[in-house]
Amino acid sequence: MKIKLRKALALLVTLTLAASATACSKPSTQTKDSEVSSVSEDQASDAAEEVKEIKEPVEISYATFMVGAHASAAAEKEVIDAFNQEYEGKIKVVIEELPSDDAYVNKMKTLAASKSLPDVVMGKNGIRELAIANGQAVDILPFLTADADWSAYVGEGAIDYNKTDDGKLYSIANQQQLIGYFYNKDMFEKTGITPAKTWDEFMSNNEKLKAAGFTPLALMTGENAWTTNLWLAAMIGTDGETGKEFMNTTYPDTYNNTSVVNGLTMLQKCLQDYTTPDAIGAIYANAANNFLQENTAIIANGPWMCPDFSDVTKAKEGLQDRVGVALYPNNGIIAQYEVGYVLCTNGKSQEEQDAALEFLKFKTNKFAQGVFLEKAGALPLTPNVPISDEYKAANPIVADLIKLSGEAEYSFGNIDNNAYSSVVAEFSIRYPELAFNDITAEDMATSLTKAAELNK
Amino acid sequence: MSKNRKWVVIFLTPGLLLFAFAFLSSVVVLFTSSFMSWSIGSDISFTGLSNYIYLFTKDEGFIKSLYNTLIWIVLQATLHVVIGTGLALILAKKRWYSNAVRTIFFIPNIISSAALGMLFLCIMNPQFGMVNNLISKITGEAFHQNWFMDPKTAFLAVTMTWLPYAGLVTILVIAEMSSISDEIYEAAKIDGASSFQTDLYIVLPLMKNIIGTATVLAATSMLQKLDIIMMTTSGGPGDRTMNLPMYLYRTVFTNNDYALANTQGVILSTLGIVTLLSIRMIYKMDKEE
Repeated sequence: MKIKLRKALALLVTLTLAASATACSKPSTQTKDSEVSSVSEDQASDAAEEVKEIKEPVEISYATFMVGAHASAAAEKEVIDAFNQEYEGKIKVVIEELPSDDAYVNKMKTLAASKSLPDVVMGKNGIRELAIANGQAVDILPFLTADADWSAYVGEGAIDYNKTDDGKLYSIANQQQLIGYFYNKDMFEKTGITPAKTWDEFMSNNEKLKAAGFTPLALMTGENAWTTNLWLAAMIGTDGETGKEFMNTTYPDTYNNTSVVNGLTMLQKCLQDYTTPDAIGAIYANAANNFLQENTAIIANGPWMCPDFSDVTKAKEGLQDRVGVALYPNNGIIAQYEVGYVLCTNGKSQEEQDAALEFLKFKTNKFAQGVFLEKAGALPLTPNVPISDEYKAANPIVADLIKLSGEAEYSFGNIDNNAYSSVVAEFSIRYPELAFNDITAEDMATSLTKAAELNK
Repeated sequence: MSKNRKWVVIFLTPGLLLFAFAFLSSVVVLFTSSFMSWSIGSDISFTGLSNYIYLFTKDEGFIKSLYNTLIWIVLQATLHVVIGTGLALILAKKRWYSNAVRTIFFIPNIISSAALGMLFLCIMNPQFGMVNNLISKITGEAFHQNWFMDPKTAFLAVTMTWLPYAGLVTILVIAEMSSISDEIYEAAKIDGASSFQTDLYIVLPLMKNIIGTATVLAATSMLQKLDIIMMTTSGGPGDRTMNLPMYLYRTVFTNNDYALANTQGVILSTLGIVTLLSIRMIYKMDKEE
């Protein structure tokens, strides 16, 4: 009797668990129930659905890493808020916030594998190529050609830069990059130096800064080795026409050339003698903090860093007055467009495609470029989005950079945009070996070439 | 008997179905795709054993990752278990500090690996880290060793983020020790055995199965280490701290090579099974004493 009771109880527990497990299928059961209801009820329900559909805004998805302490977080928020306000009741942007560039890239690559990228994504670090490969990316060129206003604000330069070999355009930027380097005028003055005109003078300046008790360079080799790779790009890009051509090549297959080896040799010395002890393995925030807190004299970075100079929560008070900007030695500047935003709505409903396109237009229009200039120091794509004299007066460092860019002899791209993502990852694990004399510059160039071969 | 069999079938079926759909199907995909060429945007095609041949004959990064993983498995299965068991034997004597030490020693096991990685990055930071500061204080000279990034110390630094923290082993062994009858200890005492002799000749042999289980857990945990390596070194400098999970992750996310990553996954799973069977064999875990 007891055994039977136990079995009955066990069966009851199993049935309860099974019922709980199927609870999630309730909505579909309800749908089936509704199928057997009367015709009039169906019609009434359909009518109500239609009204609901008309009223409900179209939802589109968008992922961003410009959140929290990111330099462009305030600009990003303002643009998205303005879009939501303008399209209230018509389009709703569902935002996924990711806390860092790395987290963003990894998440997008995971989503690309299952063809589930958000409707609009930033195509950096190979994400655009994956979106093209998995069939989600949409060719934006016909839409740009059909919209003269939008096309004028984006400009031919940005369009040509992002065109693929088959003449299609899968991404569009909302800013152009002009990158030189910032230096601490006080430290330079105390050391008795001026921004270097040649690479020999640059190394000599570093030595003098070190002798004067200052750490010359804010470098970092973690993440995408951003500030370090800007120097490498400049060293290669100003190494004659060959170097310039290499730094303007998208996805080079080999790094075994004199310009790269020379650049890496110079960087090896910089990593060993002219930077902070924590530079090897450090992330961007460490390098930025070292410059903002006046622990170092020089940092290579773009104008989006300028708002940080006057932010007392990040920088020493009055730093903005002590910072100058310069071209790289040999009159070089990194000047290129970002990869920008990719429309990933191929195969989606027409209204979703239209809504996402509206969002993309808004993110790259005159207003958005203006907000990113004001709030994040990002330079607009064309003169059709003018930089006012008031802005230049309030942001003299950016104004100086724009002026200097006109004097540059060499202009070239940066490694983050031009190299395969497998190569960018290789930099961060090879720089420590280079810094600790475990490999030579030639070995590192070979490793980079091997990494390029691995990219699929 | 037949009634019992019916109930066994009824109770096992849901679990087996779940296993088949959620796990077995993934294993089948993993295994079959290891014989293919597969990356986003390219057609999947059969390539036979080429992925396996490539990994074992041409891929230096993979060989280094496999080597590092094996070293860590051996270290974890030996030193880590010895530390945990040794501490359990000390704490089981129920001294005044036993509870406090047991709790403190277990803390690293309850902190997430990512947080632990951040913690060690700070402790071993070359500029302001506690370790360098301590050495500076002792020697009286500035000390800026970059523990995680110097090729000479990176492997040791990463190993030290998990090797000494054997709290789980200690807890398991202490729990098992509580089942030993007091009469056994009394008999040993009457026979004149010292505390050390009692532990060595009586307690440890009785703990064989739980130590075997702890060894399996410790060794196989090395097949899952990803987050703490990613937080500290990302497998660098070079591939000095690269292990199989980290290399697999890189193969997928930076090289976009899904088939090669799945081949590594098959090898990783096989390594797990071999590790498990070897430890069971060494400890003779399936044999009753």
